[in-house]
Amino acid sequence: MNVALKQQQVYRGAFTFRNSPQAIRRFPLPFPEDRYMYSVNIEPHVAGPAGSVIEFPIDCDEHYVEECRERAVVLAEDPLRYQALPHMLSAQWDTLELGMHSLAQSYPQHFSLSRQGRSWHWINRPLGLDQHFSFGDPATLPQPPLEYITRQLQGDWVIMDQRDNDLWAEGGMVTGPADWSMDFDIGMSFKEWHGPVPLGHEMGVFDRALKFLLNLRLNEPVRRLNWTMTVHPRLDTSPHNYPEWGPERATVTAQNVADVLHLRTELQGLWRLPRSNGIVFMVRTYMLSLRDVASIPKWARRVHRVLRDLHPALVDYKGLTRHRPTAVAYLAQFDDGAPTTPGTAPE
Amino acid sequence: MLITGIRSKPVYAPLQPDLLGRYHVMVGHGVGATPLSRLLSDMRQAEPKALACTRVWYVAAAAANGATNAFRAAGIAELRTFGEVDALLADLTAAMRAALMGTRLYVAGPESFMGLVMRIAHDFNLNRDEVRAEECGTLARRVHCIHCHSTIENVRTNIVECGCKRWLVVRDHYSRRLAAYMGVMVDAEAPGERPQIKEVFL
Amino acid sequence: MSHSHADTIPVRVVAVEQVTPQIKHFIFAPTGGGELPAFSGGSHIIVVMRGAQRVFRNPYSLMSSPNELDTYQISVLRVDPSRGGSAFMHEQVRVGSELEIAHPVNLFALAKLARKHLLLAGGIGITPFMAQLHDLRLTDVPYEIHYATRSPEHGAYCELIAQAEPQRARLYHDSAAKFIDIEGLLSHQPLGTHVYVCGPAGMITRVLETARALGWPDSHVHYEKFSAPPTGEAFDAYLDKSGIALHVLPDQSLLEAIEAAGVDAPYLCRGGVCGFCRTDVVAVDGELIHNDHYLSDEEKASGKAIMPCVSRARCSKLVLSL
Repeated sequence: MNVALKQQQVYRGAFTFRNSPQAIRRFPLPFPEDRYMYSVNIEPHVAGPAGSVIEFPIDCDEHYVEECRERAVVLAEDPLRYQALPHMLSAQWDTLELGMHSLAQSYPQHFSLSRQGRSWHWINRPLGLDQHFSFGDPATLPQPPLEYITRQLQGDWVIMDQRDNDLWAEGGMVTGPADWSMDFDIGMSFKEWHGPVPLGHEMGVFDRALKFLLNLRLNEPVRRLNWTMTVHPRLDTSPHNYPEWGPERATVTAQNVADVLHLRTELQGLWRLPRSNGIVFMVRTYMLSLRDVASIPKWARRVHRVLRDLHPALVDYKGLTRHRPTAVAYLAQFDDGAPTTPGTAPE
Repeated sequence: MLITGIRSKPVYAPLQPDLLGRYHVMVGHGVGATPLSRLLSDMRQAEPKALACTRVWYVAAAAANGATNAFRAAGIAELRTFGEVDALLADLTAAMRAALMGTRLYVAGPESFMGLVMRIAHDFNLNRDEVRAEECGTLARRVHCIHCHSTIENVRTNIVECGCKRWLVVRDHYSRRLAAYMGVMVDAEAPGERPQIKEVFL
Repeated sequence: MSHSHADTIPVRVVAVEQVTPQIKHFIFAPTGGGELPAFSGGSHIIVVMRGAQRVFRNPYSLMSSPNELDTYQISVLRVDPSRGGSAFMHEQVRVGSELEIAHPVNLFALAKLARKHLLLAGGIGITPFMAQLHDLRLTDVPYEIHYATRSPEHGAYCELIAQAEPQRARLYHDSAAKFIDIEGLLSHQPLGTHVYVCGPAGMITRVLETARALGWPDSHVHYEKFSAPPTGEAFDAYLDKSGIALHVLPDQSLLEAIEAAGVDAPYLCRGGVCGFCRTDVVAVDGELIHNDHYLSDEEKASGKAIMPCVSRARCSKLVLSL
């Protein structure tokens, strides 16, 4: 591992992760209302306002380089965070094409892709990469195509095969999960994979979501938001390293809650893949400390109300049991009971 | 903390003959003989000719086991018995290589055994509409330690100490690929704070 | 959430060839230059044909290589009597014509975990397999293709297939009294085989019935059926949510009539298979004529839902929840 990786302290150790004022204002608040319950909150993944996290299909933000470095650190410690079953190779290439094409189109100052038939030339300036390769020939890349591209993308990525009226999670790069494991879950059907999520099954959420996704069309990607909370800006909260981050849940106090406890939004995107007829699932994570949440009065009121009234099964599933009262107490001081305006945008 | 009600846990049902199938492969372990015998007698009632296209693979858990005689008496095409699970799995794999489309697989026994048979079924691309399973016998689980990636066999208790010295709680989350449940450290958030050990998977 | 199909791709016809007395082969290139979207073997596109009086939207399998995206290729069998779509393609479309197509959709995909693929083609049903063969050549999984046509003269791509797959293809001609031995083939396939059939309705039915009789589970049997929506008597329909009344002509499908009224209804296969256009029936003062393969018998009997892409009604007024 090179020196830069060893010194990586952004998402671990000293936790030097910070959001700029711009990053705070573009944070995707996952609560359109003052209360929260699961729903099939899927919408077309079309371009949003300039500067927002949905301006482009794949968002590349101020944390890009440090997040890619964090991924490299996790992989060096645990190579099983990247896996793909053999029949997923064409879905790997599909994902590589999606990633490169999207980044080069959205951020031409940082990335460029030129294609002459199967001969591709990829330049990633922030990471200092310049790669000629032959599309479709894994021997011409330093890593398998999915690993290669996802080492250069923020967020976790899962590729799914579609067969037998189901979607099967059969490959992925998962280094920053909210307590789930690609190594354990690889090969699972859609409902097995979502097995640990409470309430959703009873509500029929997964039946409806699966039915919808089986008919997902090329060129019509969709997105939804999900959320949880994490102590410290720690991206890698996988079950594998739970012995490391589990103890941190017991360290939240009234004095430190504003800075250590983070609201964690997942921007999930799903694309139909053209060559494999599979689907790629992006889980892009954004984190915001409660102090930064409280800096926006509307968000402080709303997050306070959501956490205060959250369904007990979700409190437990999201791992909030130990520190929710502390978080609610902290946010209560910002909630004067005034109504919040519709939508999630800061006022 | 002990998370139950998770939907990845396989669903089992009493075995019924699937007479749409042309060949029937039945695989059992120990007390799995009881559902298999019942299945054979149901088959004789519904379609006696199917018995001539039925083969049984069986691991006897105890030496003096009357089950094999009952299988022989059923008039099936072939009975293959084994003393060890591994030997059965190797022999079954070889048989699957020669098997034809139209085959139905029936499995009966403890879940830890059935999980291993299911992996072979998956290797031969047998889908959900070709395999039936009935759980019986011990509920002891195979547990995959999510921290050190090792597997612990025959877990009967709510928490279990792994070779990596961590105490694990057994989640209901089940992986067919690993044929095991997920074991996660139980006292990470409060070291030493462990629930009392209880036998729960009997 | 709406699934509008506004997002079509404009293409120009760059070649047309009469390959048999009834089949024409078309090559499309993107009007704006560049490449067409990548796809997987077995995909179809919807070709939008703007006729003088009517708009036709017909599904056609992509038959060209998924690895060559400068153009797409399709073949069109002239259906006699044609409802309009295939006649339009045969009579009105020539080199230089401009058409619109929708993005490819695959409802006939190869099973990636199959241990063997058995492809059965009848007549024009060869087209999806021609694209799939390109995908199969890149894998180590064994496959066979059996291709039946009325006669060598009607076999559009016999030579092409025979040359490309000398070891794996077998050709059959009705005129020589050579028929695919479906029962023989399906009796002796190794565990993990998937069978795929595309061809005339009778052939598909025979394969499905034989497979079932020989113990094949549904998950290993795949078929693609492109049939023109059946014609019938004219009737009136009312779209409850949009407040639109419309008239369905005898040779027009309900879906086409809905589209002609300016309503953007959902669809994928336009063949009564995928279930995507399923619509709730609010009321009907007559009988529904279900021509789809999606709704269960109970659902059909209940009269509460209809697949407007192929089904219609014998009534004076059908009220739909649209």
